[in-house]
Amino acid sequence: MADFLLELRCEEIPANALPGARRQLVAAMTKLLESSGFTEAETRVYSTSRRLAMLIADLPLQQEDRVEEMMGPPVSVAFDADGNPTRAAEGFARKTGLKLEEISRVETDRGEYLAATVRHAGRRTAEILAEAIPTIFSGLRFPKMMRWGEGEFVFVRPVHGLVALLDGEILPLELFGIRAGRTTIGHRVHSPVPFEIETAADYEKSMEDHSVLVDPLRRREILDAQASTLASEAHCRVHEDPGLVSEHVELVEYPGLILGSIREEYLELPPEVVVSTLRHHQKCLILENEDEELRPHFLAVIDRKDDPEGLIRIGNEWVIGARLADARFFFEEDRRKGMEAFLPGLEKVEWHRVLGSLEDKAERIENLSHFISKTLGLEISAAEIGRSARLVKADLLSNMVGEFPELQGIMGGHYLRLEGAGEALWTAVRDHYRPVGFEGAIPVSDLGKLLGLADRIDSICGLFAVGEKPTGSRDPLGLRRAAQAVVKILAEAGWSIDLDSLLRRSLEAFERFSENESPFEAIHNFFGDRVRRLLTDFENVSGDTAEAVMAAGWTNLPECCSRARTLEEIRREENFRQLALAFKRVANITEGREGADKVEPALFEHASEKEIYDSIRAFRESLAELLPQHRIREAFEAMLPISDKLENFFVEVLVMADDQAVRANRIALLKDLGREFLALADLSRLQIEGS
Amino acid sequence: MDLQSMILSLSRYWAQCGCLIQQPYDVEVGAGTMHPETFLRVLGPEPYRVGYVQPSRRPADARYGENPFRLGRHLQMQIILKPSPEDVQELYLESLKSLGIDPAIHDIRFEEDNWESPTLGAWGVGWQVLLDGMEITQFTYFQQAGGIELKPISAELTYGLERIAMFLQRKDSIYDIEWGGGLPYGSVRLHDERESSTYGFEVADVDMLRRHFEDWEREAGRCLEHDPPLVIPALEASLKTSHLFNLLDARGAVSVTERVGLIGRVRRNATRVAEAYVRQREELGHPLLQDTKEVENG
Repeated sequence: MADFLLELRCEEIPANALPGARRQLVAAMTKLLESSGFTEAETRVYSTSRRLAMLIADLPLQQEDRVEEMMGPPVSVAFDADGNPTRAAEGFARKTGLKLEEISRVETDRGEYLAATVRHAGRRTAEILAEAIPTIFSGLRFPKMMRWGEGEFVFVRPVHGLVALLDGEILPLELFGIRAGRTTIGHRVHSPVPFEIETAADYEKSMEDHSVLVDPLRRREILDAQASTLASEAHCRVHEDPGLVSEHVELVEYPGLILGSIREEYLELPPEVVVSTLRHHQKCLILENEDEELRPHFLAVIDRKDDPEGLIRIGNEWVIGARLADARFFFEEDRRKGMEAFLPGLEKVEWHRVLGSLEDKAERIENLSHFISKTLGLEISAAEIGRSARLVKADLLSNMVGEFPELQGIMGGHYLRLEGAGEALWTAVRDHYRPVGFEGAIPVSDLGKLLGLADRIDSICGLFAVGEKPTGSRDPLGLRRAAQAVVKILAEAGWSIDLDSLLRRSLEAFERFSENESPFEAIHNFFGDRVRRLLTDFENVSGDTAEAVMAAGWTNLPECCSRARTLEEIRREENFRQLALAFKRVANITEGREGADKVEPALFEHASEKEIYDSIRAFRESLAELLPQHRIREAFEAMLPISDKLENFFVEVLVMADDQAVRANRIALLKDLGREFLALADLSRLQIEGS
Repeated sequence: MDLQSMILSLSRYWAQCGCLIQQPYDVEVGAGTMHPETFLRVLGPEPYRVGYVQPSRRPADARYGENPFRLGRHLQMQIILKPSPEDVQELYLESLKSLGIDPAIHDIRFEEDNWESPTLGAWGVGWQVLLDGMEITQFTYFQQAGGIELKPISAELTYGLERIAMFLQRKDSIYDIEWGGGLPYGSVRLHDERESSTYGFEVADVDMLRRHFEDWEREAGRCLEHDPPLVIPALEASLKTSHLFNLLDARGAVSVTERVGLIGRVRRNATRVAEAYVRQREELGHPLLQDTKEVENG
C-alpha cells in the first residue's frame, strides 16, 4: 500500500473558489479510484490560499489482475465445413488476445460455443495516476478563470509549483507546463525558502513545520480558539459570524488574530455603520458585550502567527479609524442635507435600463400602495403614501448608502428618526427591504408592509415584463427572495387580499413592454412555487396537504395558510381519513365523465342520494356563514358528516346506472359535492393510507 | 517617507526591473490604464515594461477639499509588465521595500478584486493588495482590452500614492501628507481641489461639454477613417470624450437612459482605436518583438 501526494502551488486563490475546488477534486478522485478498483483508498483534499493538495492513502501500487470469462461465436459458425476457422473465430481470438489453439469450447443449452479465460494484467498505479491527473486538474472549474504570462494556460490563478509523490518517488507528470517534483515552499513570511517533501505521508506535518496549515479544519479550530481567548482578554465576546470565519479560513496559510481598538466616540454612530465598516469592509470580527452592544474593539485576521513589532495592530487600527472617520463625515454631511433634499435626485438615478429611474419606480410603488391600502381599508392617507413611497428610496442618494450599499433602508430609517419623523414612517423606511426572502421579521408598521409589498411586486412584475425572469441559478436581482418576502408579509400580516389582483394591477404599468404575451401566468406560477415552500417549510405542513389546499386556490395568503394548517391537523383524525378515502372514490368515479347540467332530485331512486343532495346544500350554507368569519376549522368539520352519507351512498347506489339520465344525474351530484369541497381543499390529492 | 521620495524610489526600483520610466499622459484621464503606454501597449505580441505616475481625474469623486480621504484628482503609480513574469508577486513585494515597508513585519494580503472598464472594453482578474488592512495596490492580469483578447497577458500594478503616503506617514488627512521639502499636500493641491469641485459640480457649461463630446467623438472617427488611421490622435480624441462624459456625469447632467448610451459611444471608439493599433503594429512588423530577439541573441 502506498500514499500519493499531489500539491499544486498558485498565487492567491479567491476564497469563494476553494470550497468548490475541493468538492470537485474529491468527486473526480473518488470516481477514478472506484473505476480503477481501489476501493480501500481514501482521498483527503487540502487547500490554503496558495495551494491545492490531496493525499490518497492506502493505495495499492498495482491494480489486481482481473480474470474474465469470454464467450465467442458458436462452434458451428467458427469453423467451416472443412473444419477451417472462419473470420468469426479469428475475430474472437483477436478480441481475447489469445492464439486460436488456446481458445477452448463450452457446451451450452444452445449448443457448443467458443470460450476463453482471459487474464487482464492490472496496470501500475503510477501509470493510472499520471494519466488521469492532468485531465482532472485541467477540468477543474472556478467562478472566474484567467490566463497569465504567455497566455497558454487557463486556471483560477497563475500556477507555480507541482509536487507529485507516490510514497517517496516523484510521479512524472506535468500540469500547466510545470513538471512535478518534490520541492515546495513554506509560508511567505515565516518560511519562504524552498524545501523538499520526503514522502507523501509526511506532507501535512512537513507543511506545518514550514508554518503552513494545509487542512482548513485545523485553521478554523485555531481561529475560533484564538478569537475567544482574545475576546475574553478584552472582556467581550465574539459576535457569532461563521460565514466570515469560513472566508478567513480560505484566505490564509496560517491564521493569526489581532485585537485592536477604535475610538469610543465612533460608537455614537449608528451601530450598523460601525459593523459595516468593521465587518463588510475590513472583514473584522465584531466584539460585543453581554447585551449584544458593540464594544470599541475588533479582531482582525492576519496570515501569520504574530505581530512582531505591533505594526500590524497599529496599521489596522489606523485604517479602521480612517474608515470610521470617513463614515462619520458622510453621516454628518447627509444629516446636514436632510432626507427631503435627496428627493429631487430620484429621477436622475437609474433603477433599471428599461424600467426607468427611481422616481419612476417610486411613482409605481405609490400607485400600487394606494390600491392595496384601499382594498384592505388601511387607515393611511394618500398624501402619506405618496410622500413615503419616495422617502423609502431617498437614502439611495445619500453619501452613506453610496459608500455602504448594504445600509440601504437602515440609513434612511436613522436619518428620518433623527429628523423627528413619525415612527410609522421611519420604521417603514428602515424595514421595507425586510424580510430578506423568508428570513427575518416582517416590517412593524402597516406602512412598512405596504411599501415593502408594493416595491417587490413592482420589481417582479417589471422584470418579468421585460423578459428578465430568473433562470436556473441566475437570479441577479433576487426576485425569488423578493417573492418569498411578499408571500411571507401577506401571510403574517394577515392581509386577505387576492395576490393575483395585485399582480394584474402592477402589470398595468408595464403593458407596453409585453404587448405580445402577458407575463401574468408566469408570475402567478412563480409566486405559486414560493407559496408551496412557505406552506411546507414554514407552516410545516406536508407536501400533499400543501398541494390539496393550493388546488383550492392560494392567492389569498392568510386564508390559504389557515386552510393548510387546519387540514394538516384535521387529516390525522380517523373520521377525516374516512372522508378523504370516500372523496377519493368520488374523484375517481367522476373523473372524465360528463354529468347532467343540473342535479334533478326527481331522478333520485335512493334515500342516500337525497341525503347527499341535502348535505351538499347544508355544507354550502355552512361555508357561506363560516368562511367570511374565517372559521376554517369549523368549515372543515362541516365536511365530516358527509363521510357516513357517502359510505351509505356507495353501498346503496350504483352510479353507473343503465339509465343514461339517472347516471348523468348521479355524476352531476358527486361533481357538485367535489366542487363544494374545493372551496377548502382538493382532498383527492391527499395521500391517505388504505387508498 | 514623503510623496516625492515614494515616486522617486518606486521609479528607480522599477527602472532597475527593466521598466521604461514614462511620463504622465498630457490628456485628462480617469486612470493610468487609459495612458497609451498601457491601453495600447498591452495589445498584440510585443513585450513591454513601463512605469509612470498618472494624475487621474475623477470629477464626481471630488469633495471641495473637505473630505480628508477623497480627491477629484489623485496620483497613481502605474506599472505594466508584459508578459507578466513568473515572479511578478515577488517583484511587487520587493518594490514595497523601496517604500520602507518590510513585508517580514507586516501582514500583506492579495485579496480577490477583479477589474473592469466599460469605457475601454477592458477587464482583468487579480487582487487588491492589503497592507495591514489598508488597500495599497490594485494588481491585475489584463485579459481583454479594447474588446480584444490579450496574448501575452500583462500584469498591471497600480499604487494609490496618496493613500500609501497617508498610511506611511500616519496622517489623518490627505492634505496633511508631506509632499516634499517639508511642504504638505494641502499647500500644493487644496486650492485646486476646491476650484475643480466648484467647476465640476456647479459651473461647467453643460451645453459646451455636450458640444465638445460630439466634436471630439467625430474627430476620433475622422482620425480612424484617415488613410492610414491615425491611432494616437484617435485615442486622444476618445480620451477627451471620456473625460467630457465624466464632467457631464459629475455635473448631474447625464440622464438615466443617456448614460449607457454615452459610455457605449466612448467604448465604440476606444475599441476601434485598439483594432487600428493592432493592425498598425502588424504592418510595422512588430518592431519590439524583433528588438528583444536581437537582445536575446546578443
